[in-house]
Amino acid sequence: MIPTQFEYVAAKSLDEALSLLGKHKDDAKLLAGGHSLIPAMKLRLAQPQVLIDISRIKDLSYIREEKGQVRIGSMTTHYQIESSDLLRRICPLLPETATHLGDVQVRNKGTIGGSLAHSDPAADWPAAVLALDAEIVVAGPKGERAIKADKFFVDLLTTALEQGEILREVRFNTPQGTVGQSYVKVRHPASGFAVVGVAVNLSVNGGKCQSAGVGITGVAPKAYRASGVEKALQGNALDAKTLSVAAAHASDGVDANTDLFASGEYRRHLAEVYTRRALGTAVSRAK
Amino acid sequence: MTDFSIIGKSVALIDSAGKTTGQGKYADDLSLPGMLIGKILHSPYPHALIKKIDSSRAEALEGVIAVVTGPDAPNKYGILPVGHDETALAVEKVRYVGDNVACVVAISESIAEQALDLIQVDYELLPAWFDPEDSMKAEKDWIHPQRPNNIEKDYHHVFGDPEKGFAESDLVLENRYLAGEVTHAAMEPHSTLAAFEPDPQTGKPGRLTVWSSTQVPYYLQHKLSIVLEMPMSQIRVIKPLVGGGFGGKSEVIPLEIIAAVAARKAKAPVKITYTREEVFWAHRGRPRTIIDLKTGVKKDGRITSVAARVVQDGGAYCSYGVVTILYSGALLGALYDIPNIRYDGYRVLTNKPACGAMRGHGTVNVRFAFESQLDEIANRLGIDSAVIRRRNLLKPPCITVNNLRVQSYGLPECIEKVIERSGWMKRKGRMLPGRGLGLACSHYVSGAANSIIRSDMPHSTVNIKIDRDGGVVVYTGASDIGQGSDTMVAQIVAEVLGISLGRIKIIAADTDLTPIDIGSYSSRVTFMNGNASLRAAENVKTKILAAAAQKMNCSPEDIVMRHDMLWKRGTPEPHGKGAEAVQILEKVDTPRGNVQEVSGRVEGQILRGSLQQKRKEEGPKDRMSFEEAVVSAIDFSGALTGTGSYAPPKDARGGAFKGAGVGPSPAYSYSAQVAEVSVDEDTGEVTVHKVWAAHDCGRALNPVSVEGQVIGSVWMGMGQALQEEMVWKDGLLMNPGLLEYKSPSSAESPEVETIIVESVDPEGPFGAKEASEGSLAATIPAIANAIHDAVGVRLREAPFTPERVLAAIRARKQAAKALEITRGADPSAPKVFREHGGSLWYKGKGPERHPDDPARKNGDKALAGD
Repeated sequence: MIPTQFEYVAAKSLDEALSLLGKHKDDAKLLAGGHSLIPAMKLRLAQPQVLIDISRIKDLSYIREEKGQVRIGSMTTHYQIESSDLLRRICPLLPETATHLGDVQVRNKGTIGGSLAHSDPAADWPAAVLALDAEIVVAGPKGERAIKADKFFVDLLTTALEQGEILREVRFNTPQGTVGQSYVKVRHPASGFAVVGVAVNLSVNGGKCQSAGVGITGVAPKAYRASGVEKALQGNALDAKTLSVAAAHASDGVDANTDLFASGEYRRHLAEVYTRRALGTAVSRAK
Repeated sequence: MTDFSIIGKSVALIDSAGKTTGQGKYADDLSLPGMLIGKILHSPYPHALIKKIDSSRAEALEGVIAVVTGPDAPNKYGILPVGHDETALAVEKVRYVGDNVACVVAISESIAEQALDLIQVDYELLPAWFDPEDSMKAEKDWIHPQRPNNIEKDYHHVFGDPEKGFAESDLVLENRYLAGEVTHAAMEPHSTLAAFEPDPQTGKPGRLTVWSSTQVPYYLQHKLSIVLEMPMSQIRVIKPLVGGGFGGKSEVIPLEIIAAVAARKAKAPVKITYTREEVFWAHRGRPRTIIDLKTGVKKDGRITSVAARVVQDGGAYCSYGVVTILYSGALLGALYDIPNIRYDGYRVLTNKPACGAMRGHGTVNVRFAFESQLDEIANRLGIDSAVIRRRNLLKPPCITVNNLRVQSYGLPECIEKVIERSGWMKRKGRMLPGRGLGLACSHYVSGAANSIIRSDMPHSTVNIKIDRDGGVVVYTGASDIGQGSDTMVAQIVAEVLGISLGRIKIIAADTDLTPIDIGSYSSRVTFMNGNASLRAAENVKTKILAAAAQKMNCSPEDIVMRHDMLWKRGTPEPHGKGAEAVQILEKVDTPRGNVQEVSGRVEGQILRGSLQQKRKEEGPKDRMSFEEAVVSAIDFSGALTGTGSYAPPKDARGGAFKGAGVGPSPAYSYSAQVAEVSVDEDTGEVTVHKVWAAHDCGRALNPVSVEGQVIGSVWMGMGQALQEEMVWKDGLLMNPGLLEYKSPSSAESPEVETIIVESVDPEGPFGAKEASEGSLAATIPAIANAIHDAVGVRLREAPFTPERVLAAIRARKQAAKALEITRGADPSAPKVFREHGGSLWYKGKGPERHPDDPARKNGDKALAGD
């Protein structure tokens, strides 16, 4: 299939993009890599009249640490994150998550902002930003605002982004002290998306869990923070029993997805097993 | 070891340049002036009467040229003479979701698509049948009124004395196995372009030419003749490049007939190309199969008796169904020595797309059951898996109890090789927890000894014409579908004539030009068309030798033809000119060979006429170039041509009982495979790490091609073993696309170590047998047996999806935490087909259906049943 006819505009700056978006409103879609949008257009599930390409805006592509915060521009590609020495040193969860994402071509072209704004229930990035308790910074006609990651993902393919807003940056506090992180994933055999993906960000002090962030994707209509798991870890010794007890809460209160590859029950089971494994790996790295 | 020039060499496929540069033309690449596009309207219901079709609004749409419906071509056809139950477009009734109702012909694809929405069809819904065992009990509303109880065909064969065999056995195992439905998923979707020439006398549509993605151009010509009521001589079928078949193009697919009917009505060329979803509806893949298998053995593992009851969920039309159900029984024989066999086979009609022939036609699912059960028997008896198979070997040459003639038999060597290479003796039973090795064997026919339409006609005929400059044109009906048959023919002709591959041009699969060949299916092409090519080449060689013998003043037997030269036996092998010619021609063999180099092969700068002149003035000599010999022969006979054909020998054609025609083959290929897997006991995920695959192909005419076929077979078998399954809900296919129905590709491939075993068949061309299907059937049970070795569970329901494997593990470990998913489902002891996917219970919502659709109620019932 081929998409319906559309106009293409490459925005040169965020301001230009915002103004174009304000002008075309619902008729326009932002192109930020296109790995979800273009297939949807080919199936004619999406039929925008204007595509505003923001992936060429240089000012939106950066990874830096300032004042104890890590800031990643929304048009930073998966590969830039995967290969960032800075992130490998201070937040290896993100480069590790990137390696699980699609294939080389996808990683070279796709952007973290494009993925987050799409809120695909099986995308990898949402799990990672949830585990990091990140803030999503969005720019709009009324200025900027920051949204906590766990408030950003609203539902299936739905985010807290409002009409006319553009996702500008992802930021989070630089992990401090003894940190253990990991991302594990069951890949769908055809799409490569996460059947289950678990991101863990642990802060450890004296063998005990000081703080825990656990983000899970693939299981529910949207990625979520597994707060039951986090609570069960908080303040406890990180031994096998604790991890096992905590992992059992992986899909608490979640309406699990069912598809041809895995039933809801099996997804819950996978969420538990892979949460246990992700925690185990994170603990082993927290040295 | 025979010393060959080009046989046994891994030469590049001769059509590879066009395919890799994008210059090659597939059916959808073709275009004609004034060509229109056809789009098909498909049935939304699984079983319904068509009360009325109103296409007036569609016809009124600007750009629409014609709308075709069933009554435009109501003659019935089908690939088997006993199964003529299809029409180009539905007449009176639709039988599956996706059945063909009407075809719009328009000036563009988008207009044709728009017009489809404007066709109004009134249906009266009928109860529909989705489960084969339910369908067999149907007392009315049969899918085809001439097939009572929806049974397409049932066979009940008894060879030897099975009851006595079971009575004499020390151990009898009886199990039910289920295999899900799989499809070919060839890369190229079906495509057909049909064009009529106006008749010069009447101006009406006259001769028809059809370009189609087919494995069987001659059957297509025949079926077009039946439906269009035209003599075959007025129909020309041309097979362009084909992007994979695997059996999915081995019969006449609806679009091929519809395009021709539409072209006649529209009075213009019409092209139809299926979407991927339509390819899934056209289907003709491997049916869901229930196998109830019983095997009796003595204490030492010797098989005394086998009984199999096989039920195939065949879909709404016969297709190759009668052959499939017969292969499932017949190929119980010819692998091992089984003295007594009972076989009860049922091919059942259901309201789903028709199943047909797919790589390993008929044997794959039964082989999965058989090799799994044999492994279990070995475990019970404490015998090694390889040893029990060795104890049941045939002793060829022999005739099996079900009348199959076995001559060359490389199975023992195949087993030997995979055991050795995989380190079986050292590693089996000593691996890390969750890791295991599994062994399984399989075999397949090298073409059917009896053609679909029984006659004494040769199954393949090949013509050769040689030009004065030594260019050799081979006219073969064999259909290259990517498997490399054009190259196979060229290699055989080059070997016989002692010439370079660059001299040979292949004209293939064009019913006006090439002699009849019944098609590329049942792995018959290398054996049968290869033999015909060999004979055609020998025929023309005789003529060249006769002429050369006169010039060389010796007898034809004293002449050697090789390296593009002829010389007297006993004189020194020529170098110099002949050798140069070889070098030049080797350059020509590469795709970049240019014209200047080609012209160089005629004796430097001497032109043909003067060459002839020059030779006439010379006396007898000891050697000549191939061109000189050809010129001599043409001077002698005017034209230099040869013909060869192949018909399977009478003693290979099987018994005389009903259904005996399917199974016999002039030769069988043999395979043994060892799979190494690991199983995640917590999640049921299976990883295949390596497969050692030994295949006895008689002689590898082109080893790299053989390896490619074996690796491809392993991938396809691995897909069926682990993940491929067509998922049905209320007769709707839930995964009609490659994002949901996933075949493994090179990206997912484990290491496959191929081992070629050459048993050199006495009747195959240079000893060759089939190489492309036999390996597939061993992969599924090898993986199943490896899973058992790894975690101790026996998967009897394929595919072995993570959820099924986990359920089987949990069903065995009673103490382990019960999972919701395992409730009432144990894939190690399956009972009936469920509407499921990889998940055991498919609870998703199907596409919207009409509330009155009886299929809906039926579907709910099927969903609830276990």
